[in-house]
Amino acid sequence: MSSIFFTNAVRFFILVAFQGLVLRNIGAEWESFPFVNIIIYPLFIFLLPFNTPRPLEIILGFLLGLSIDAFYNSMGVHASATVFLAFMRPMVLGMLEPRAGYNVNWSPTWRRMGTVWFVKYICLMLPLHLFFYFAVEAFTPVYFLLILKKTFFSFILSVVVIFMVHLIIKPID
Amino acid sequence: MFNNLFGRFFKYGGILLFLFLESICFYLVIRFNEKQNGIYIASVNKLSAFFDQAYDRWTNLLQLPELLDSLAGENAKIRESLANEAVQKRVKIDSVFNKKTSDRYQFIEAKVINNSINKQRNYIVLDRGRRQGIQPHSAVINKDGVVGIVRSVSDSYAVVMSLLHRQTRISASIRNKGYFGSLLWDGVDVRRFDLEDIPRHAAVMVGDSVQTSGYSAIFPEGIPIGTVEKVSHEPGSNSHSIKVLLNYDLSNLNYVYVIINMDKEEQKKLEREVQDE
Repeated sequence: MSSIFFTNAVRFFILVAFQGLVLRNIGAEWESFPFVNIIIYPLFIFLLPFNTPRPLEIILGFLLGLSIDAFYNSMGVHASATVFLAFMRPMVLGMLEPRAGYNVNWSPTWRRMGTVWFVKYICLMLPLHLFFYFAVEAFTPVYFLLILKKTFFSFILSVVVIFMVHLIIKPID
Repeated sequence: MFNNLFGRFFKYGGILLFLFLESICFYLVIRFNEKQNGIYIASVNKLSAFFDQAYDRWTNLLQLPELLDSLAGENAKIRESLANEAVQKRVKIDSVFNKKTSDRYQFIEAKVINNSINKQRNYIVLDRGRRQGIQPHSAVINKDGVVGIVRSVSDSYAVVMSLLHRQTRISASIRNKGYFGSLLWDGVDVRRFDLEDIPRHAAVMVGDSVQTSGYSAIFPEGIPIGTVEKVSHEPGSNSHSIKVLLNYDLSNLNYVYVIINMDKEEQKKLEREVQDE
């Protein structure tokens, strides 16, 4: 139990630091092509254990978002997206639930759940986060097409980076 | 009991917490981000302007009946002063008269509360009566022309003999030609009237305007009635038989004006004196 807590705490800090110090700078100056946004910090919420209480999930999402906002200097924009993502996670898990159900002591990782399940999981969760984030960032339905474009390109880049990270670090829980 | 409450919190707590934190997030977004703050303020302004406008329109709509009443009253005043002006113009300028005695007509606005057109004797009911100064045998007009003559009044209502009444006779003349006759309803068509007693030698053309003559002490001179539609001759008769087409629709009455001729008694008395001789 304490090792799961420790793992997640470390994951939180590493992801926030990596996102805030490294990935934030990639593509930040490309004003003419604003579609390069690599966003992998939601991985922390993706990989929370199955038995995380729902209120705790949402509070952790809020804290994660606020930490990222501190780096991006965009108070509340990331936090609103992560709170939304944490709120939606049980529903996505419910959609993808295998016939035998989940082992409540596990976390939804690549190694625990298998490639097909994990790819499906990421492909459902990440667009939710990205779309909500870019929508709040634009804050107006006028640029709906731009929001969709940003979501699409950012999704492709972020998925590639997420799997690259998984090839280096292979977390079990 | 407590368990139940706890379980309920776990069931709905997620949504409540989500909504609570999400509102905090949006507060932060609006509070600390320049771009989103600008969009937020512009949207709120737009929205409040929209609601202000809707509220304005709605309250204006509610005030409309009062506005109509006051406008009708204002119209009555203007028509009154116009009619009196016409009377005064005929008085020589060097003759001395004071304003009070020279006002011959008083206009009172009234609303039609009942109207019929489908009988041989049609009546109109107005929401003004003796208390508002309406007297029997007063003229009733609307913005387009002659409507009828007040038949009887109660304290707050008046019954008007419509033009569409077989016994209504109105002294009418051809505009700019001076010949006069009486206007009667033919009892068939709500827009067609007979103009009788215009002498045969009068040059009446189809399309001539027909108006009140001002001879009857009820109607002022020059209130429009209609146009000549057809001129024919009965064999052996000494006058034209003229069909007049009404310019307006008596089935669609809303506000009317009652004209009180304050010199009527004087005129009638004078006329009687001559007849008694």
